[in-house]
Amino acid sequence: MCGGVPPRHSQGLVMKTETGGYIGKVLTINLSFETIRTEDLDSDFAASYLGGKGFAARILYDRLEKGCHPLSPENVLVFSSGPLTGTLVPGSGRCIVSTKSPATERWLDSNCGGFFGPALKMAGFDTLIIHGKAERPSFIAIDDGEVRVLDARDLWGLDPFTVEKKIRSRLGAEFRVASIGEAGEKGVLFASIMSEARAFGRGGSGAVMGAKNLKAIAVRGGHPIGIALPDQFMLTCREAFNEMAIHPDSAGGRQEYGTNTILSCMNEAGIHPVRNFQKGFFQGHSEVHEEAIRRYYVRHKACQGCPIYCSKIAEVTEGKYKGFVVEGPEYENVWSFGAQCENADLGAIIAAESLCDSYGLDAISAGNVIGFAMECAEKGILKESEIGFPLRFGDDEGMIKAVHAIGRQEGIGKLLGKGVKRAGEILGAEGFAMHVKGLELPAYDPRGSSGIALAYATSDRGACHLRSWPIGAELLSPEERMDPFSEEFKAEFVKTQQDLFTVVNSGVICLFATFSLTLRHVARFLHTTTGIEAFASPEEVLKCGERTNNLVRLFNLREGLTAAEDTLPARFLKEPLSEGPSRGRVVNLKPMLEEYYLVRGWDEQGIPEPQKLEELGLIHG
Amino acid sequence: MKLQNRLCTGCRICEMICSLTHEGEIAPRRSRIKILSDWPKEERIQVCVACRPKKCIEACPQGALHWKESLQLIEEKCDLCGACAEACPFGGIRMDSPSRYPHFCDRCGGAYECVRWCPPKALARVGDEN
Repeated sequence: MCGGVPPRHSQGLVMKTETGGYIGKVLTINLSFETIRTEDLDSDFAASYLGGKGFAARILYDRLEKGCHPLSPENVLVFSSGPLTGTLVPGSGRCIVSTKSPATERWLDSNCGGFFGPALKMAGFDTLIIHGKAERPSFIAIDDGEVRVLDARDLWGLDPFTVEKKIRSRLGAEFRVASIGEAGEKGVLFASIMSEARAFGRGGSGAVMGAKNLKAIAVRGGHPIGIALPDQFMLTCREAFNEMAIHPDSAGGRQEYGTNTILSCMNEAGIHPVRNFQKGFFQGHSEVHEEAIRRYYVRHKACQGCPIYCSKIAEVTEGKYKGFVVEGPEYENVWSFGAQCENADLGAIIAAESLCDSYGLDAISAGNVIGFAMECAEKGILKESEIGFPLRFGDDEGMIKAVHAIGRQEGIGKLLGKGVKRAGEILGAEGFAMHVKGLELPAYDPRGSSGIALAYATSDRGACHLRSWPIGAELLSPEERMDPFSEEFKAEFVKTQQDLFTVVNSGVICLFATFSLTLRHVARFLHTTTGIEAFASPEEVLKCGERTNNLVRLFNLREGLTAAEDTLPARFLKEPLSEGPSRGRVVNLKPMLEEYYLVRGWDEQGIPEPQKLEELGLIHG
Repeated sequence: MKLQNRLCTGCRICEMICSLTHEGEIAPRRSRIKILSDWPKEERIQVCVACRPKKCIEACPQGALHWKESLQLIEEKCDLCGACAEACPFGGIRMDSPSRYPHFCDRCGGAYECVRWCPPKALARVGDEN
């Protein structure tokens, strides 16, 4: 299959690490046998894979049976923090969940902010690995190192907000909870895992949890996080906070408008997709823009350890959606329930995102699949009698009904809950089923940004804007502008950024914090927190990211991925945009992809060359 | 200290810097300042506010507490009973683990680390602008 199959990690996860940052414990729970096993974290393992996504890559590569069904007990669910999680490093409130995605049947890692990651560490574990399937609805409670699997029959069917309240009143107010809603229980392929109104959103990790009969995970503890080089650590953090306090992104737009700060820029660039990517310029922008959204904000909200506080609490105070409250609405959802469905009612956008949180749905994919269904209805592929209600572009009420139908798995929701790829195959509408590898698209039209086109095509989990985000350099950055229409230099850029973002997702800190910082900062965070000498070198740190990305590639190849999947929906390759600044353009993917494989050290089939694997220590020559 | 709940984003940087300053490790549970959250409601900041009545001193059966610029504990006298923590109407005192002594704000000896690090400036020293 591959140039050389790397051996399983020989030492396992043994030998206590003496370094800072890490707790030094890995917990494995098998729900089928109700067995609980604790291992010490191996220091070489930590130095090679950092934490978070890196740990998960090694664990899933070693432990997941090839070809297992994502919703079978054999699938493995990994929650992982990193050495920086829960520290004073800015944006350190994050946690990674990794598994085999039911949407893509490939690698998935999904990242959630809030407080769950730090709480998992303080409960006594860097990483939590879940195997098997519980006999009845259950939840896991970890209280200061003490692990229990408890009955969750009384929680089944409840929304994540209620689940959190009930668990807290039962076990204690300090518990941080990650849980699934109705969508996860019923196997919606883009069900999320929710934690305090924030989500492990993409790729269907909620359905994996539901298939394991696992309703929730609750963690609390007082385990301290040690810092290896405290004086240098404090200096590094202070410097980073100071940089962020004067940076136009982290201290400007993102604080004021949240993630919506880029809305107008994206629309003006003509890459804000409209009507399921039929257009790239949203006429409804006069009603849906960052200033209008700001009027719904009640207050700022931050994840743990974050000076940016890009999160907002928004409330609809009048009109037919009065009373809906959301932590957001985020840029992606303002698009997915806005321009994607050609809806300009902000109240409906907030309501839809709020409902997605309550059902435990990925709000990016939900809006995508609804927009797709709207196009099917427009083209007569889906009839109103089949849908059960009118579902047209611009119809906010139909959109909200569709969210309910998906969340409850009723009527048309059963089809739409399978995601765009499968619904497209069933309806014979593949031509405008907008997905990569089975994951629905984020809010940037790649016809106006060559970089994001390559980023989508090569992302390990399917269409994703968080594996590499060339939009910043192509359309926003005042310093390092690249031509968004050119194919030149994009391969090298995307490759390097993918490796950096994997470092960030292994750290685990927030990408947004690093937008105003550099690899040098991240390396210094890692070095001063852990004391691991190799992390003093930014090049070595970046290599950890490259190592993980190559291992994830091997995982995907083992699961049957071929180079043919590193592509984009036909619409981007054949249908030119008809209006806006990017009109007339299609994506010219092939030359970028060829160059990308080359700079990655992969062959023409996208398979890592043995020399590359040897260089990264994934095989020994 | 001046506390403004409406500005607090709930980031808990104050809890982290407090425990790092006093205990040399990141252990928010041992922090002398505490943020209480009840999503989506406003956060609540709890810390010793140097109130006038000082019910904590009054409540201590051992006479282990007194005031000198900030609350002071004579550890030899303290019998770890927790009456001070119960008496404080502001939630400004917490019984620490593992030390078991009451924990409260000592202003970092005047350095006010939490005030210096608070990004939204929800914490301020009385008399400071903002």
